[in-house]
Amino acid sequence: MSRLGASLAALLLTLAPAQAGPAREAIVTVQLANAVEVVDLASNTVLRRIAVDGAPAGIALSPDRKRAYVTRPEGHGLAVLDLDAGTVLTEIPLPGGPLGVAADPRGGHVYVADWYGARIFVLTEKDGVLAPDGEIAVGQSPSGIAVAPDGARIYVANREADTVSVVDAGARREIAVIPVGHHPFGITLDAQNGRAYTANVTGDDVSVIDVAAAKEIGRVPTGRRPYVVALLNGRGFVTNQYADSVTAFDLATLKPLAEIDVGDHPEGIAADPATGRLYVADWGDNRLSVIDGASLKAVAQIATGNGPRAFGDFLR
Amino acid sequence: MKKITLATAALAALVAFTAQAHGPTRRKVSESIEINAPADKVWAVVGDWKDANWLENVAKTDTQGDDPSKSKRTLTLKNGNTIGETGGKYKPDDKLFMFYIDKVDVKDLPANDYSGTITVEPAGDSKSKVEWKSAFYRGYMNNDPPADLNDEASEKGVSNWVKASLQNLKNKVEKGS
Repeated sequence: MSRLGASLAALLLTLAPAQAGPAREAIVTVQLANAVEVVDLASNTVLRRIAVDGAPAGIALSPDRKRAYVTRPEGHGLAVLDLDAGTVLTEIPLPGGPLGVAADPRGGHVYVADWYGARIFVLTEKDGVLAPDGEIAVGQSPSGIAVAPDGARIYVANREADTVSVVDAGARREIAVIPVGHHPFGITLDAQNGRAYTANVTGDDVSVIDVAAAKEIGRVPTGRRPYVVALLNGRGFVTNQYADSVTAFDLATLKPLAEIDVGDHPEGIAADPATGRLYVADWGDNRLSVIDGASLKAVAQIATGNGPRAFGDFLR
Repeated sequence: MKKITLATAALAALVAFTAQAHGPTRRKVSESIEINAPADKVWAVVGDWKDANWLENVAKTDTQGDDPSKSKRTLTLKNGNTIGETGGKYKPDDKLFMFYIDKVDVKDLPANDYSGTITVEPAGDSKSKVEWKSAFYRGYMNNDPPADLNDEASEKGVSNWVKASLQNLKNKVEKGS
């Protein structure tokens, strides 16, 4: 191949959308081990462990999937990881209890929820360096965060307020409050279909939100202590912490389809549309469960460190 | 003086409000014990929803409902305080019982949002092994916990309660055999 051809190929590779192929890795916060593990999804083994103290819990990835933003609720801050190098680039101190985290899909901003407060922190990247850049008031005990594809709206599940805050990212203020079920924790946006889903921890159900109308339009019953919802091929999948299971439901009818047995205290869940698989962090059993989204069965397990949580966007 | 009072009241309100949410890090403790009795005999005690008096410090069990997979029960402690529990899973075939603590004074058990899973399995000739897994948040629900309610103290408190209860179970079953 000519030199020009080679550099063109390299350029095309660089420009290829991050999610075009199957996910190669799961980036898992192993909270009780004070580490983040990089799991190879071809061999189903932990490739490397990156030490991150402060009980790492929440995770978000940069748009190019090269960096991970990991919350450290007991260290009070956010760690920025270089995933290819396997190193911590920087640790940014934050007050309160940083737990939920999401990245602007266009890049430039990262949002972190203060579990002990009623605010999200804004972090802005300037010249490649991420730094605190103010905060936005939301409801009590903000947990999960989702950002619209165009970055204009931020959706925050407020656990103690039983609401979702709709935030105008440009104006940096809450513009709507949507009442949902009891103690919403994870929030998942389906931008294509104009919906969002919260897992209501003490309500044992999922709230379905019409995003444009800014109101709840339905509920899906789940197992006990639902935590986070993942979406795949017209189905929702929610982890049930106290039932050691995942409830699958139909996004059109909002009817449960199956309850899939996984490990003890399942928490974070993420879907890989390219393979039709879902990955679940089984906190109590120190492993990931792999679910086949078509057959609705657990098909594999991957051992991890102590207390995997992976609360957020963790596949790349 | 009035300003100070108002500030104090505001602070108290804030503390009361923020104290709703548990800590950010769930802890885990696992304990087990070997008992010189067949698993069926051990399960007869562990799986008896109406009598939890083998648990350390428990003086009385009052059930509100007969389904150990979802009913509630109240355990009255020797000091008069109570623990409120809800059954979570009850599988006699697997000899597995999972329950949640809805209400407990952290002075009696330094934990929040506690869930426990007890399993009994055969371990050789006329012996069995009982495993008790606990998942919970520390006793203090905010940043900067006091020493008696931090992660380490809470783990120790739960561990001690479970170990003492398992020893009570062993004593009760082996004495009756």
